[in-house]
Amino acid sequence: MFADGLFLGFAVLAVLGAAGLVVFRHPMNGAMSFVVTLISLAGLYALLSAKLIFALQLIVYAGAIMSLIVFIIMFLNIQPSDLPKEETKLVYILGGLAVVLPIGLFLAKIVKSLPLSSTAILGNDFGGVKQVGLLLFKDWLVPFEIVSILLLISLIGAVVLAGKKEAVK
Amino acid sequence: MIHSYLYLSIILFCLGIVGVISRRNVFTVFMSIELMLNAANLAFVAFARVHESMDGHVLAMMVMAVAAAEAALALAVVILLHKHKSKLDTNVFSLLKG
Repeated sequence: MFADGLFLGFAVLAVLGAAGLVVFRHPMNGAMSFVVTLISLAGLYALLSAKLIFALQLIVYAGAIMSLIVFIIMFLNIQPSDLPKEETKLVYILGGLAVVLPIGLFLAKIVKSLPLSSTAILGNDFGGVKQVGLLLFKDWLVPFEIVSILLLISLIGAVVLAGKKEAVK
Repeated sequence: MIHSYLYLSIILFCLGIVGVISRRNVFTVFMSIELMLNAANLAFVAFARVHESMDGHVLAMMVMAVAAAEAALALAVVILLHKHKSKLDTNVFSLLKG
């Protein structure tokens, strides 16, 4: 099937990008491989017929958040000598994998017990802007307002933290 | 099949945990946290597809908003720490150790 091939390609790209993020030494290389993960996740959302989330993943995540991170990495002008020396990085990564593996196997066992269901692409406006927007403003209105307050607080916090010295005192 | 999406979500989440606990670069740790949020998002959207209800999509949007707020604040903190210590090592940032 064509959709299965697409899923396989996107899944391999996502895992490779995430592995690159964990392994690369310079944060800029890690950020670039993380962008690959984000874009292939957007493709997976499209395969799950989540049209609005697909667009938001590309615009908000791969567009806004990652460009903010890349901008800050370039703003700090990181030289290779500024990076922490991680001679035992591979040992730590292997140790971390050994710690995390039982948790992953446990979760996989839970997933295995779930009933099978198909992921054929749905038509009739499932996941479109209108449907998700109606749901957001009807059933999820209070969480939506709380998220807007959270964004306002983080805006104020960022201005206070990164503003001028006089503002901090 | 829906199981492969959930397996992929588990793999990405575990890679995020490995990045957080085994790396010392602040930016890599931060992006690993973002990776874990994305893995949770993938599980949300996959379950929304299973039940054919769109509540998972709304939750995924809220997770994106939280990630944006987190990015703004965390990067401001990283800029301040880099200004004070001119290092990017999480071992140096142990101000709360007492």
